[in-house]
Amino acid sequence: MTHWTDRLSDYLDGALSSADRLDCARHLESCAECAATLDELRRVVARAQVLENRAPRADLWAGIASRIGVSSPGITSLGAERARRRVAFTLPQLAAASIVLVLLSAGGAWLALSRGGNHEIPLTVSRRTDDTAAAATVSWVSRADPKYDARVAELQKALDEGRGRLDTATVRVIEKNLQIIDAAIGQARRALAADPANQYLNVHLADTMRRKLDLLRTASALVNART
Amino acid sequence: MNTSAPGEPILRNHQAQARADADAVDAELAATGDGRAFERLYRSHAARIHSLVRRMIDADVADDVTQDIFVRAWEKLATFRGDAAFGTWLHRLAINVVLAKRQTVATERKRRDDSADALDGLPSRRTTPELGLDFEDAIERLPEGARQVFVLHDIEGYRHEEIARLLGVVPGTSKSQLHHARMALRKHLER
Amino acid sequence: MLLTLAALAALALPQTDTTIAVRPGSRLDVNNFGGSITVKAWNQSTVRVQADHSSHDEIEIAAGPTVVSVRSSSRRGGPHTVDYTISVPAWMSLTLSGIYTDITVEGVTGEVTAESVQGEIICRGGSGNVSLKSVEGALTLEKARGRIELNTVNDNITVTDVVGDVTAESVDGDIELTNVESSNIDLTTVDGGVTYDGTIKDGGHYSLSTHDGDVELGVPPGTNATVSVSTFDGDFEADFPVSVTNTTKRRFTFTLGSGSARVEVESFDGDIHLRRPGQLGPGKHRDKNHNDNEDNQ
Repeated sequence: MTHWTDRLSDYLDGALSSADRLDCARHLESCAECAATLDELRRVVARAQVLENRAPRADLWAGIASRIGVSSPGITSLGAERARRRVAFTLPQLAAASIVLVLLSAGGAWLALSRGGNHEIPLTVSRRTDDTAAAATVSWVSRADPKYDARVAELQKALDEGRGRLDTATVRVIEKNLQIIDAAIGQARRALAADPANQYLNVHLADTMRRKLDLLRTASALVNART
Repeated sequence: MNTSAPGEPILRNHQAQARADADAVDAELAATGDGRAFERLYRSHAARIHSLVRRMIDADVADDVTQDIFVRAWEKLATFRGDAAFGTWLHRLAINVVLAKRQTVATERKRRDDSADALDGLPSRRTTPELGLDFEDAIERLPEGARQVFVLHDIEGYRHEEIARLLGVVPGTSKSQLHHARMALRKHLER
Repeated sequence: MLLTLAALAALALPQTDTTIAVRPGSRLDVNNFGGSITVKAWNQSTVRVQADHSSHDEIEIAAGPTVVSVRSSSRRGGPHTVDYTISVPAWMSLTLSGIYTDITVEGVTGEVTAESVQGEIICRGGSGNVSLKSVEGALTLEKARGRIELNTVNDNITVTDVVGDVTAESVDGDIELTNVESSNIDLTTVDGGVTYDGTIKDGGHYSLSTHDGDVELGVPPGTNATVSVSTFDGDFEADFPVSVTNTTKRRFTFTLGSGSARVEVESFDGDIHLRRPGQLGPGKHRDKNHNDNEDNQ
């Protein structure tokens, strides 16, 4: 009698053809050995399915936090052999808050935060000639938004505080370009003040403010960039 | 890459939906750089990921590889689209890291023997009397191919086609390795 | 298929030279802290990784079923620079990244993602999704096709001989596209010029925008487009007659042909020039030879 030992897992998992399954079942009716083996295999599978997951004995969070550059209370310096010079900013939550704020004050049509935490928040929805969007822009940018300014100030402050950990050349580049954008924002604001209903100026100011947030986001993304 | 079906455990988990909702919120926050949200995600998933690593590779490197996985998850958060559960996405990412690691860790392990007899030389009881540890130990002592297929199929719930693709073998090999693993492990249920 | 494990302990050898077979459809993933990554296509079905590095660095090459990954780690002190030269099958997709890393890609036909913080990126080739990003470092792209994204902060973007949608952004740098065939162009910089000399197709959308710089747009004869021009403090000139259909202060629209494509040209503080193809002057506003970031390691 040929045993079906080697195919009992397939039988158990329903992977046999119906003809084979029938043959195997018939064999099992008369073969105590194979029947016992099948029962053991069933118990192995059942055991596997109730295995508990065990947390690591050591708390690994401190090490992870250190590597990704977020603060971890009570962390001591770890793994010198794994330490690398990193470009690290510690401001992203503030950036996120400012982005949400800007979108909310611009009106629902612009609120397109994607569910998945996608960074590509489209602040420049309607540079196209949509009057509704232009009207929304007017109300957003022409009233002074103290919260936006406060958030940006917080970001800048965090940037200053984190300076010691940063790569100086990259910091210089980021700061220089923030100044360029700030200058552009200032010019656009002044032009808009003299011509508040100008659709181009409204959209342009919004675009330029978005560029600033993009740059700050890029700066925070440097924390997350690569190994 | 973010399909939900293959990575979901075939097991229990009644609170799955509640946890998935909390994860989704934390994932979104973490993607914008919120370290505390990411820590919550770590705490929520560390046991599962660490156990996966321990079983797929070995206990010695599990701490390091678990850290690597979470660091990589942090780096890749921007690509998590939220159309699958975060746990599924993280799990798939962990599998990728584990499979990439196994080739660099391979030379340091002693379990190169591919025969089922590898398990026979072990005492059946270790110092801790719990049956669970015994079975876990037995899994960790399986030869690599059989072990990884067993973990992916019977513990993690992948199908053979998926396992074959991940491990770079044909489904037939996956099936025979699974059988090999189960046959070897049944002895460690009984002792 | 042969997967060769190649984790070399770099002892006395300052060089790594490893060739491995790869499965069709695999991707190459290289991460380099500092130095350079040069990837060239060849007609073998293997990947050859050559690296110049110090004896304190270890090159780890891991070949899995879908990805070949190349990393370096430093056994002593901080990271050192590694210069990679990698030959790949042309079909291979590439993910290349680094901090202080120059990246060059030649002759590939797969997807290319290249990111550096400080480093120049040059890509000749690429298809599907092509994405080049840097904080400081010029981006140069030639002979690519597909969906193209270029993003830098502090440098110029130059694109030639490319087919497909192009999005390019800089803050302090010029953006120049020549000989480009596309239906979707989105170019924006803050302090720099923008130049586009390529197709303007029916139904396409073309947006060129800068705050402080000139915009040069090449308009092929027979173009069907609705063109809207916006500027705050600059001049507008066209090399061919345009009849303005809609004017508001500092913003006007005109139609060419059937008006099919949508073209938006904007400069806050710079001039806007519409020219015939091949007659575009440099859209540069500032001399990019200034060297105020010269502490590169």
